Amino acid sequence: MAEKPSIAIGQVMENRSVAPGHFLLTIRLPLSFATPIPGQFVMIRDPDRDEPLLPRPISVYGFQREEGHAILNLLCRVAGRGTSLFSRMNRGGALTVLGPLGRGFTIDPDVRQLLLVAGGVGAAPLTFLLQEGSLPEPHSGKRQVTAYLGAGTAELLTGLNRFEGFCDLRTATDDGSRGYHGNVTECLALDLAGYDAKSTLILACGPGAMIRSLALLLRDTRIRCQVSLEERMACGVGACLGCAVAIQEGEGRTGYRRVCKDGPVFDIGELLWNSPEESMSLS
Amino acid sequence: METDKNTVVPGRLVVELCGLALKNPVMTASGTFGYGEEYAPFCDLNRLGAIVVKGLSLEPRLGNPPPRIMETPCGMLNAVGLQNVGVRAFIAEKLPFLRQFNVPVIANIFGETIDEYRRVTEILTRAAGVHAIEVNISCPNVKKGGVAFGAHPDAAAAVTEAVRGETDLPVIVKLTPNVTDITEIARAVESAGADAVSLINTLTGMSVDIERRRPHLANVTGGLSGPAVKPVALRMVWQVVRSVQIPVIGIGGISTAEDALEFLITGAKAVQIGTTNFIHPAATMEIIDGIEDYMIRHRIGCMKDLIGSLQIVF
Repeated sequence: MAEKPSIAIGQVMENRSVAPGHFLLTIRLPLSFATPIPGQFVMIRDPDRDEPLLPRPISVYGFQREEGHAILNLLCRVAGRGTSLFSRMNRGGALTVLGPLGRGFTIDPDVRQLLLVAGGVGAAPLTFLLQEGSLPEPHSGKRQVTAYLGAGTAELLTGLNRFEGFCDLRTATDDGSRGYHGNVTECLALDLAGYDAKSTLILACGPGAMIRSLALLLRDTRIRCQVSLEERMACGVGACLGCAVAIQEGEGRTGYRRVCKDGPVFDIGELLWNSPEESMSLS
Repeated sequence: METDKNTVVPGRLVVELCGLALKNPVMTASGTFGYGEEYAPFCDLNRLGAIVVKGLSLEPRLGNPPPRIMETPCGMLNAVGLQNVGVRAFIAEKLPFLRQFNVPVIANIFGETIDEYRRVTEILTRAAGVHAIEVNISCPNVKKGGVAFGAHPDAAAAVTEAVRGETDLPVIVKLTPNVTDITEIARAVESAGADAVSLINTLTGMSVDIERRRPHLANVTGGLSGPAVKPVALRMVWQVVRSVQIPVIGIGGISTAEDALEFLITGAKAVQIGTTNFIHPAATMEIIDGIEDYMIRHRIGCMKDLIGSLQIVF
């Protein structure tokens, strides 16, 4: 059960560039800030600015408690004006942090093989899963964790150090500069037959094209898969209905769900596809 | 009678609106506060003047395809398309939560036909825990409804009359700014039996992604809200206050107590807080406190002495 969200003023302890267009924010928060579940996100905003107006949703990359504070790590990609301003924030700067928000990943105890599939900055919420204590223990025996990380180039494989040594790792780059030469879904496809459908769970996060290709790949298998989606948001708490995603509700009925409140994690089978190649909601 | 205006008088902020005693003039704007529950972790709902819930239609509505929102300079565009659970699910699933609080619940309604407005009103009037009806005749997002009613005095009056005939609850008509003369519509709904008007709804706007040469919103156009619209909203409130006898509720870009005070001084009897809830989930609480601080600082003992106290003297 997720803890209650709150609004806190955080202080930037470190803001570091980790790859071209990617930065890692470390924010000190009051100890009272609830512990996020992997897959949950926060809404952040610079309280000293009148614009951009809206806070920006960023998934949790790491969270610890130390010396009377909570420490929140956010791995961000510069996607527009809001994130561009965050990338230039200095140590000591203030950030309003609302969270933790949304529904995170759910890992059943019968899962023996966990596959983490990420494209680009989509690695962030999956990294948090690998943090000590974040993964629930399996019912019996050991759980195998394998990560498939993809990016345009080797230097864009962000957060790699948080995977190396913590799980089996496969990498894929579009330019072939590291690991498999091609996209991460193709890389996973090569291994897929080797995984037992009943005991395997895929947790994925990445750009729309990756989610689409993953849905196509898994369509004829029985492997369970949860994906964390990204969408423009205003409120982050389920009120504005701005972050709609089209969902198959069963019995042929369709509807929109809120990425912020009903997600951001959804079963990949719930997502509604206009046609196998196209989604109504993922761009 | 002389009272000590430096102390906090319980009820200093009380406003009487269409027979409802509001603890203060600060309400939430429809569509920006969900059904109340979404903001309960951040706000003491009991402190609000009133809660105006997300717009309700007779049947549930899916809403528009995404993308539905886009930030613009000091504002945002939305084309949610009036997605809602429908009036019956609201009463069964959302209203019981709101009944726990000692705060008036105002149900915002809309329809695509006059009969639909009438039926939604009838259903809500029978439900316990609804204190007033706010009639949306102005939402610009739905091709068939909304704008057609709100843009013409006759159509606006016809909807008002239909709702009026169906309920003893106070009827507030929410006006669209996307008209040539908003006072003409305000006078029409007043004559048709509205107890109050609220304004403004969003201004229709548009935004284009130049890289992809596509509109940012799947609906192409959307409703502009946020600080960007405040001066326009205030001007329209000023015009309407001078044109009708019924109370005016001011809406549009109110982010702070100072913004709310501008509307109250101009003559709005209450205000609604909208887009700011998305930015500061506890904004309503800060605005209530800020109005009270102002009243104390200016030694104003009751809202009656503040509302409409604008002096145009230079």
